[in-house]
Amino acid sequence: MDSASVKQAVMQQVSSEANMANVRLLIEENCFQKCVPKPGSSLSSSEQSCATSCMEKYMAAWNKVNSSYIDRLRQEQGVQM
Amino acid sequence: MNSTQAAIENVDLDKLNDADKGELRQFLNTQQQRSQIQSQTHQLTQVCWTKCFTGNVSGSKLDKTEEGCLANCVNRFMDLNLLTVKHLNSMRH
Repeated sequence: MDSASVKQAVMQQVSSEANMANVRLLIEENCFQKCVPKPGSSLSSSEQSCATSCMEKYMAAWNKVNSSYIDRLRQEQGVQM
Repeated sequence: MNSTQAAIENVDLDKLNDADKGELRQFLNTQQQRSQIQSQTHQLTQVCWTKCFTGNVSGSKLDKTEEGCLANCVNRFMDLNLLTVKHLNSMRH
């Protein structure tokens, strides 16, 4: 392996480990709370459609929180420096 | 995390030349920053989800009220965060 391919290998490893794995757990936990308040003997079709909307909503909320957070960080840095 | 370490151990880091080392260092800094922002976003989304989505899930898109609630939630959390830091500091004196 030469220098460039070592560099590529490290970059690839690090990128693929990005923190996004956690989000699945959070989505499951929150959408289970919301959509399956009383677990029955199977997942009903209304629970399933609730879960699908909930997942999309959670991801939309994540994106909104992320952009608001970044805006605020930028603003704080502007004030401090 | 362990899988990254294992895989990186198999790579010979001594082969990196100075230019690539510098580039890699820069890359790792950026990734670390990104990762911190993502963890904080995970935590904030968790907090603000319970505050802003109290009823049944309606639709898969955010409406205006929900968007506003999330933005306020993040900003008030940050206000409290700064207030806490300030207050804890003042208690030390």
